Parts: sequence; structure tokens; C-alpha cells
Amino acid sequence: MSLAIDRQRSRLLTASALIGPATIFVAVSLFAPLAILFRFSLNGFDKATKTMVEALTAANYIHFFTDPYYTAALATTVKIALLSTVACLVLGFPLAYVVARTQSRFKHLLIIAIVLPLFVGNAVRAAGWMVVFGNKGFVNAGLTGLGLIDKPLEIMFTEKAVIIGIIAVNLPFMVLSLQSVIEGIDRAVEEAAFSLGAPPLTMFRRVLWPLALPGILSGTILTFILAMNAYATPYLLGGPLFKMMAPLVYNQFTQQTNWPFGGAIAFILMAVTLGLTVVANLLIQRRSARRTTA
Amino acid sequence: MAQLDIENLSKRYGDFQAVREVSLQVADGEFLVLLGPSGCGKTTTLRMVAGFIEPTAGHVKLGGRDVTLLPPWRRNAGMVFQSYALFPHLTVAQNVAFGLEMRKVARAEIAKRVDDALALVRLAGHGGRLPRQLSGGQQQRVALARALAIHPDVLLLDEPLSNLDAKLRQEVRVEIRELQQKLGLTAVMVTHDQEEALTMADRLVVMSEGAVRQVGTQRDLYERPANRFVADFVGRSTFFEGMVEAPGRFRTDGGLTLACVGGTPGRGALALRPERVGIASTAGSGLDNNLRGTVEFVSYLGALIDIHVRLSPSDRLIVHVANRDGAFVPEVGQPVHVGWPAAAAQVFNE
Repeated sequence: MSLAIDRQRSRLLTASALIGPATIFVAVSLFAPLAILFRFSLNGFDKATKTMVEALTAANYIHFFTDPYYTAALATTVKIALLSTVACLVLGFPLAYVVARTQSRFKHLLIIAIVLPLFVGNAVRAAGWMVVFGNKGFVNAGLTGLGLIDKPLEIMFTEKAVIIGIIAVNLPFMVLSLQSVIEGIDRAVEEAAFSLGAPPLTMFRRVLWPLALPGILSGTILTFILAMNAYATPYLLGGPLFKMMAPLVYNQFTQQTNWPFGGAIAFILMAVTLGLTVVANLLIQRRSARRTTA
Repeated sequence: MAQLDIENLSKRYGDFQAVREVSLQVADGEFLVLLGPSGCGKTTTLRMVAGFIEPTAGHVKLGGRDVTLLPPWRRNAGMVFQSYALFPHLTVAQNVAFGLEMRKVARAEIAKRVDDALALVRLAGHGGRLPRQLSGGQQQRVALARALAIHPDVLLLDEPLSNLDAKLRQEVRVEIRELQQKLGLTAVMVTHDQEEALTMADRLVVMSEGAVRQVGTQRDLYERPANRFVADFVGRSTFFEGMVEAPGRFRTDGGLTLACVGGTPGRGALALRPERVGIASTAGSGLDNNLRGTVEFVSYLGALIDIHVRLSPSDRLIVHVANRDGAFVPEVGQPVHVGWPAAAAQVFNE
């Protein structure tokens, strides 16, 4: 009896010794800065001396939501994140399906090819896109040279460039999330639907989509969060006038040294990301639950 | 239900000929079983009937209608998969209703037909459960109910029992067969388990290397195998390698001369069913073949006893003795006499 308790206690000790360091690391590196930043975001700021003034005020948050410049940046960020996430899902699903279902010997090469872009940092890749999409870049030079267009397409420093860039960065995450889930779906289930009279689209809607839902959720959450917080891509491809939230936070901290306002923007970004993710998940899960019981 | 005609069906993958010119007719209400070792083309044939694989050549006709070029969702063939392939996110009733919804059957009618189908497989009252809450045998029956609910022209079964444990498999075999007879279903089943095939089929098709080796009833295949492959694959046989010296006389490579019926002179093999051989401690009389040998191996299989007798350095005979009171069961190393009538053996020329 006491032996069993002893053993249980020693197991508990081992377990806490193993998970302790990571827990403490996360607590110190994530929650402590967040707590401090949140406190800062309630402080005031003296523009003349560019210093933080101790206070307890919601002024920074009010400032953000009353200035159209900032609300527009938030709207742009949400719009771009939604668009790029939907695009990743639409582009990624067929790709993930093919990778999951292929019986080729070169399957591992396919997966490496999908992961390969992740080996190149965002900034490096964005720099590459600048070369490709510039007015005298590869695409425009090529199209003009072929006589297909008269004047260069405006891609660089537009929303288009940012969306294309974010899709390129996020697509591998979507494909990998989907692929691992689709691989776990028995191929025979699809065939069963066919044999029962379901054409491919119906099969997809009634069988594949609901069964792939866990992967669709994790993939969209991942790409949505990454897109909401994208920094290098909008900064380099959108140009100085293009406003998204993450570059805005950075700007407040480094250029303006306005830590309270920067902190407030950071918390608004975090809250909106979290809020939209939770709401979207609840909606999707409720819809699929209703379909199942219908 | 309808008649199924398979005409010169072939499937080629690059250089590999998976199915070669298979022609079969399954009558309305008939249960046909495709039997063969793995890789023999039986599953490919079934999947071509279902529409999952496009044939390289040939035709599939269902109730006289050529469905060769139709996709599976326009064929009205009910399929039961080896893995059952139930929709895990739908309840049992929703699984069974799926095919009816695809056919735009009215809601009230669907409810009735789902209940009927579930009652048929003795799962009434289980409609609200999810597949994972059922045992393997119950899942198998849901798969069957789902395939039957659509009133298919033909029921296709792809190794439907191979995921069940041995005891349950014997029960479900009989159950499926009785259901098939009661409803007059046209059915095609694929299996590599010959006992299963023999229990369930009206007629069997033995396949190997993509081709049909023999079509016939259980008795045809067992007692009149068309070739050495069938004699070997269906039931057990001892094969003596050697020469047909003259019609009625076979000489083994080990030097034994055996009496047989017919045969064309030349190299060949003589096949003998183990239960057709008599074994005793003294020489018998009245048999065409009487030989002496030494027991090398005895194994007790319950209903019968499996005895291997060495007749010559290169000839070993398998004998099965029914496990009755007073049955002669020799020991290993014991000298014995074995014998069989000439008509019990069958000769296959090479």
C-alpha cells in the first residue's frame, strides 16, 4: 500500500521534473512579457519627451478605435488574413489530397518539396518576390517582351503582392495539416459513397469534408494566425504606405518609442485574432454537428 | 436484382496484365464467388464491376444494360468493403439512409427502408449509434444493410469476412448466404478463403494470374479439377511428379508404378485427395494400388488425422483418416500399407 503510494509519488516527481522546465520557460517568456506589456498599454505617453507616463487609462485603446487610420489597418489585416486563408484552403486541399493518396515511391520527395519553402526565411523570400514582381521585374519584363502587355502590371507594393506573398508563406502549413488528416481517412469510405450513388462533389461535401474537418480547422487556424501577424511580407511587398497590424506594432515600438500605444495595438491584434479564430471554429463545428444530426 | 454479364474483361497496368479476358455470367439470384490467391485478379475484376477501375478491354452488363463506361455512382451496384467503410461521422441509420438520399427517396420512405434494412440484419434499434460504438460483426452487418437498402442490381462483396474472428466468420457466412437466398440477390463475392467460398457459393470461379482457371460448383472443382492449379488450390492433394507411360499407367520420378485412369503419355503429375487413400497395418485387397511405406509425420487435427507416409525417397503421400472409434492411427516410424482405386487419382499432363 505505502509502496504503491511511494511509487506514485516518485512518478509524480519525475513527471514534474520533466515538464517543469518547459512550463517555466513558457511562463517566463510568454506570460510575463504579456503581463508587463498589458500594464504598459494602460499607461500614458508624453509626446514631447517621448517617455512613458505612469497612469491607468484606456486612452490608447480609445485612440486606436477612434482614429480611422488605425481601424483601416485592422480592417486591412483581417481582410488579407481571411482572403489568404481561404486561398490557402482552396489551393491546399487538392494538393494535400494528392500527396495523401499517392502510392508513388516518390511521396517523401513530394512532401519535401512542399516543406522546402519553409527553409527559406520570409525576408529572403519577400526580397525574391520584389525582384520577380517589380515594374522591371521578371514577370513584367517577360510579359512586355512577349508583347502581351503595354505597361507593367502593378503588383509590387499593392495588396495583391502581399496576399500572394502570404499565401506562398502559409500554404505549406495548410497542406501539411490537411495531408496528415486526409491520410487517416480510409479510401474505401470515398468509394462507398460513390457506390451508393454520390457523384464526386456530393461525396466531397458529405464525406470527405466532414471527415477532414479537424485538419481543415487546424490548417485554417494556423494560417490565419500567421497571416494576421505577418510582418516581413507586408513590410517588404506592401511598401511603406501599406498598413497591417504587425508592422504597425513594430513601428510604434522602434520609430515612435511609444510603448503604451504599441502595447495597446499588440493586444488588440491578439484579441481580434483569438476572437475570430474561436468564433469561426464554433460556427464550423456547430454547422457540421447540425449536418450530422439532420 | 438482375443478371450480370462480364464479357472478355481485361485490365493491364503497363506491362502487367492484372486481368485477362475474363468472361462470366451471373444469373439473377445467383451467388458467384471469385476464389484465388492474392494477386490473382479477383479483386480487380470485382472493382471493374463496381466501376472503381476502368477496364482496358471488355464489357460489364447489368440487367442487359452496358455499364462499362458508367461511373460507380450511376451503376446501382451495392458494395460491401473489407474494411466495411462505414461513414464514421454518421450514425448507423444515416449510413443506411445515405444511398437512399442520393436517390432522392422521400423522407418517410427512407425512414421505413432504413428500419427494414436494419431489421433484416438484426440491428433494429441500433440506428442511433455511431459505427465506432458497434462490434466488428455489427459494423459488418451495417455495411450489408447499407448496400441492400438501395435495392441494388447486384451485391458485390470484397472479402467481407476477413476482419472478423474465426468463430464469428462461420456464423456470418451462413447468415449472408441465407439472406442472399431469401432475398434472391445476385451476388459476387471475392475471397481467398476456400472454406468460405465453398460454404456460400452457388458457383465458384477459381482465378490465378489474372485468368479464370475453372468455373463450377463445389463438387466440380473438388472432384473434377480442370487443371493442376485448381486441384492444388481447392482442397488438399498429394502430387506425384513423373511420366504417364501409357494410358492408365503412371511412373513416378521415385520409381513407383501407379494405376490411374486415362492420361496421355508424357510428363505430368498424378493428384490424389488425402481422404481417398486407405491406410492399414496389413496389405489390403481389391484396390488398384497397394503400396508399402513408412509413417513420417502424424498430426491430430480434431475431426481428422493427417498422416504423411514415405513411399520412396522422392514420393511422400498425405493420408487423412477420419477420427472415429477404432480408426487406425499409426505412430511415426511405423511401416504401413496404403491403397486407393485407380479412379481416385487424377492425372494432369504438363
